[in-house]
Amino acid sequence: MLSVIRSALATPDLRKKILFTLMIVVLYRVGAVTPAPGVSYEAVQACQPDQGEQGVFSLLNLFSGGALLQLSIFSTGIMPYITASIIVQLLTVVIPRFEELKKEGQAGQNKLTQYTRYLTIALAVLQATGVIALATRGGMFANCPQDVIPDSSVGSTALIVLTMTAGTAVMMWMGELITERGIGNGMSLLIFLNIAARIPIEGEIILSNQGGAVFAVVCVFVLAIISSVVFVEQGQRRIPVQYAKRMVGRRMYGGTSTYLPIKVNQAGVIPVIFASSLLYLPDLISRLVTPETETSWFKRVMAEYVTNQSNWVHIAIYFALIIFFTYFYISITFNVDDRAEDMKKYGGFIPGIRPGRPTAEYLHFVLNRITLPGSIYLGIVAILPNFFLDLTGEGNNQNFPFGGTAVLIMVGVALDTVKQIESQLMQRNYEGFLR
Amino acid sequence: MKLFLQILLVVSSILLIIAVLLHKGRGGGLSSLFGGGTQSSLAGSSVAEKNLDRITLFIGAIWMICVVGLGLLLKV
Repeated sequence: MLSVIRSALATPDLRKKILFTLMIVVLYRVGAVTPAPGVSYEAVQACQPDQGEQGVFSLLNLFSGGALLQLSIFSTGIMPYITASIIVQLLTVVIPRFEELKKEGQAGQNKLTQYTRYLTIALAVLQATGVIALATRGGMFANCPQDVIPDSSVGSTALIVLTMTAGTAVMMWMGELITERGIGNGMSLLIFLNIAARIPIEGEIILSNQGGAVFAVVCVFVLAIISSVVFVEQGQRRIPVQYAKRMVGRRMYGGTSTYLPIKVNQAGVIPVIFASSLLYLPDLISRLVTPETETSWFKRVMAEYVTNQSNWVHIAIYFALIIFFTYFYISITFNVDDRAEDMKKYGGFIPGIRPGRPTAEYLHFVLNRITLPGSIYLGIVAILPNFFLDLTGEGNNQNFPFGGTAVLIMVGVALDTVKQIESQLMQRNYEGFLR
Repeated sequence: MKLFLQILLVVSSILLIIAVLLHKGRGGGLSSLFGGGTQSSLAGSSVAEKNLDRITLFIGAIWMICVVGLGLLLKV
């Protein structure tokens, strides 16, 4: 293992890429702790809410690597980009023009990416405004004696919003730079970092609250969870596909037998993100609309059943939403009819099944069957931290980085990045990380 | 001094957003996010893109200086 890392660093272009990625990462973390101008650093530090009280912000805070509750220049985090991507992805189903662009190949894809980027900025303005509004009204830092933003005039607030929006743009650019010149997908790498940055803090909390024995048990558990997630993530069903031989001019093409890989968890971590964002939405809205002191029945019901992570209703809704979104997302991204059509066009067929509609039906059947355990697995991993609640103290939640969304994202991104390093390494020599 | 930095921050923020949006998006959207297929763009960046990189970097530096400077100046 160590020799592989050494050979990775010995390869000049790979070394350059890794160092470039590290440089961006350092810049990013510096930005994540730089307070936005006009925000009182002392007040923010004095009023940091406890783990249990974060509630609705824990997910947003997780995605911004703690930058949200610091009110730093990067406090919108990567969330606007995720939301924009999800919206554009969904719009490809609704708007015919977007669907056309998606089918157009690389050029159309670039255009969609461009739309995503514009939308990101628009959403960043919205989210920054929301963050400031929550912070000044005391929705974010409850019972804070000092003002978090001392000068709450319109001009000063607008300046903070503008700075945070520019911060989002910078973050987006950093992600793209990593994708282009560094290792791995930049955006997901930044999310990975945000989550990984919280692990030492969480570990320390467990160690100081519960003592060494519990800490050791948790470590063993974490290893078990991570290895089982890797196991399922790598699992795939290989449907054999036979390509017919064809003559084009004097050349002979095809005649090969390959396979169509269908992953157990084809949807990745996206259903989990969809489901958790949807669950947080009502509470966020109620916080924005009604002042902190007022309690309406809507707010009470929300707090009791939907946002309370240890409530069985919450867990059940979350689980059901994840299973629904897994099927939903796969039906969007993996179009069986198109796939069957493509196979037919290039002279491929699945042995024993006629090309065209029967193939599409067969793919649909296999996909649905394999997605069932996949979606249940996603649901179980995502609700796992809700059973760990007692370990890290009162009401801790998804923020617990050893289960749920966090582990799914971390493992997915890490596997991807290592694979990419591996393929780079393959160009020089044949021994890689994965055996 | 404070007013100057504030105006500079507003201008550099807007310019920064425009400069970043002018770049060609290489993110690939959500499909490649979270463990999608790895597709590498082999096309190198053009001269215009390189110049835009430099301009963005320059504006970004000014922006960062403004943020830190204002933070130190306000001392709140």
